[in-house]
Amino acid sequence: MALIEIDNLSVTFLSKGHKVHAVKGVSLAVEARESFGLVGESGSGKSTILRAICGLAPVSGGSIRIGGQVLNSKAGKSFAARVQMVFQDPYASLHPRHTIDRTLSEPLAIHGLGDTDARVMKALDDVGLPRSFRFRFPHQLSGGQRQRVAIARALMLEPEILLLDEPTSALDASVQAETLNLLNRLRAERGLTFLMVSHDLAVIDHMCDRILVMQHGQAVEELTRDALATAQMKTDYARSLFAASADRMLAG
Amino acid sequence: MSLLSVRNLRVTFDTEAGLVEAVRGVSFDLGRERLGIVGESGSGKTMTGRAVLRLIRPPGKITADSMVFDGQDLMAASERDMRALRGPRIAMVMQDPKYSLNPVMKVGAQLMEGLRQRDKVSAQIAYDKAIEALEAVQIRDPERVMDAYPHELSGGMGQRVMIAMMLIPNPDLLIADEPTSALDVTVQAEVLAILDGLVRNRGMGLIFISHDLRLVARFCDRVLVMYKGKVVEELAAKDLLAAKHPYTQGLLNCLPRIGGPRQPLPGLDRNADWAV
Amino acid sequence: MSTLTAWLRDPNPQSRRQARLGQAWMAWLRLRRNPLAVAGLAIVLVLFVMAAFAPWLAPHDPITQNLGNRLLPPLTSGHLLGTDDFGRDILSRILYGSRITLFIIGLVALTAPVFGLLVGTVAGYFGGWTDEILMRITDIFLAFPKLILALALVAVLGPGMENAILAIALTSWPPYARVARAETLTVRGSDYIAAVRLQGASSVRIILGHVMPMCLPSVVIRVTLDMAGVILIAAGLGFLGLGVQPPMPEWGSMISAGRKYLFEQWWVATMPGLAIFIVSLGFNLLGDGLRDVLDPRSAGR
Repeated sequence: MALIEIDNLSVTFLSKGHKVHAVKGVSLAVEARESFGLVGESGSGKSTILRAICGLAPVSGGSIRIGGQVLNSKAGKSFAARVQMVFQDPYASLHPRHTIDRTLSEPLAIHGLGDTDARVMKALDDVGLPRSFRFRFPHQLSGGQRQRVAIARALMLEPEILLLDEPTSALDASVQAETLNLLNRLRAERGLTFLMVSHDLAVIDHMCDRILVMQHGQAVEELTRDALATAQMKTDYARSLFAASADRMLAG
Repeated sequence: MSLLSVRNLRVTFDTEAGLVEAVRGVSFDLGRERLGIVGESGSGKTMTGRAVLRLIRPPGKITADSMVFDGQDLMAASERDMRALRGPRIAMVMQDPKYSLNPVMKVGAQLMEGLRQRDKVSAQIAYDKAIEALEAVQIRDPERVMDAYPHELSGGMGQRVMIAMMLIPNPDLLIADEPTSALDVTVQAEVLAILDGLVRNRGMGLIFISHDLRLVARFCDRVLVMYKGKVVEELAAKDLLAAKHPYTQGLLNCLPRIGGPRQPLPGLDRNADWAV
Repeated sequence: MSTLTAWLRDPNPQSRRQARLGQAWMAWLRLRRNPLAVAGLAIVLVLFVMAAFAPWLAPHDPITQNLGNRLLPPLTSGHLLGTDDFGRDILSRILYGSRITLFIIGLVALTAPVFGLLVGTVAGYFGGWTDEILMRITDIFLAFPKLILALALVAVLGPGMENAILAIALTSWPPYARVARAETLTVRGSDYIAAVRLQGASSVRIILGHVMPMCLPSVVIRVTLDMAGVILIAAGLGFLGLGVQPPMPEWGSMISAGRKYLFEQWWVATMPGLAIFIVSLGFNLLGDGLRDVLDPRSAGR
């Protein structure tokens, strides 16, 4: 049984009286300790799937099961302890008036976990931030450092599943490399399951074992990493996406 | 003769935390060619682009030994002279069309505004020129786009409209600050191709500012690599793979590649002597 | 001094307290750049000093009447600002009156914004029916002119300082609810609220710990700008004889008492009027300056 099972999922928003079908009948299954990638352009519904898993987007059809359990609409504490998310924009995902310390100790306070000092220090160590950053405010950090804080926050409750919504698209190339390395290291150390969304095929390829290409809210093609590397896609859209991404790579 | 010549450009901000130097002594010459400025966020690349147009808001200050555009001293020019330069002679395309188009004005009206006010042409001529400009950026149904509000356009369309708007007065120099970063990869390629064609055909100078070294290398003739407000390396784009500076090499190698190895990506050593 | 500023500016604070104080120091440095705001702050501080040290600063008792000295003009020896119709020293009465003014301001500033903040954030965060009901109630209160509503309330409750404060507080919370709701709506959909919700936080925790801090700056700014209005309403109630009762030295009732002599003995009404004017101006300048310092949009990055 897969850890994350999404079956025929549909998400429909009501926007200005129009029904917007953001996700149309998408199915996927992610095994435990696997890294699964969702790739597509803006408006393809890839982020909406992550938000639907978290209860941040309205599910209008189909089902989402985590570890065999069907999700109910209210995301409770037990869900929080299993699934956490890292958001795209590190400038928007940290509370601007809370210190790093407050941001990291909040999940502990919510779940009534003690030993706050030691856990916060360890979390900073784990994501490679100096301990002296503990009482800084987000605006005193760079984008990459903020994203490390966001990753540390997501890991405070020691979840088994991490949902990654374009975690590096707002970062510089070199900082992206450091962040991806960090995520890979943490996954190896903790046996995490990743469900990662990105528009960058190269990033997804570097991080994920299996990839689902999406367009206009629908699943286009599922690819393994090997199939991607050798450009064995069956659909035109996946091929054009591959071409546009590969085009950006310099030979050498 | 060079179109733009900048010597020892500095941009400083007097903040509560003390003086912050965003640009520290940048010099370059630009002919009618395509110059790329690459660096990470905070490297001063955007500030360099804005400083050329003297678009730095207080408490920011611009100083330079000289900054000459087409024989005109930009440091000595009055604010009025600068206004005459911005747009007709030097144009700028920003990162996100969402923020650079007026949301409550139709695209057509925004395109024609400059023509009507500055060049005092009739409504009909302005309309024709605007349509022509939209066709030049390969918008297939320019009449519909003219009649649309910016929020009705996709990101790629919006950026094309921005480019069209900037190119209507036929400027000599175009400064493009991350013009494609907000766009999807497939759209990015299209917009770049359009920009490339326009710059070539009109013989404009182009300053292309981006954090993406590979993109810049493919698209420009010459590349300035900036780090912490300084130019660390200047080289021809075709020699990029032979870059000597460790920072440039680091930027080149840190991107993941499709089908590349799974080992950790090489990072940048920020503690080396050059990083000070 | 230099070690203290270095401690305040330390980019790596050692404790929560140091981080907070460091932020406050930065805010003060930003405020200091605006001379008008500093002037406003100085006026407000002077008001505090006047209220705190009134018994020592005042040359005379503010209540004891001395009919032999009635209506002396300003600059008479011993009576810098002159005396009123009962021979009481106007300067002393203004000094003691600052206590009453500050008491009214303080209580209103403690009650109305807190209530407004609560109503606004709850309405904004939950939306839907909660929002509809709370905001329509707010609208009802907003529909009446403040002074009229305060008058009606005092008329029902009976004159007196406590009732005046209650009336002012009850009429001045709706704007804060409005401001807080607007701010909440922009914050509600942000990623950092989604993140804390994903951690299983309760609505109470999210509203109190995460939404309210974001609304606080706009409300604080609004409060300082409104303080002038509160002083004027309190003075207005005093003027109409519905607020603080004689012989207590309240600025509004002092103007009211001086009205009879406005043409011959102008100072009786003018001096307390000047006091109201200066304090209102001080709060307004300070509020304007705080807007630049506290605005979350300017402190964003």
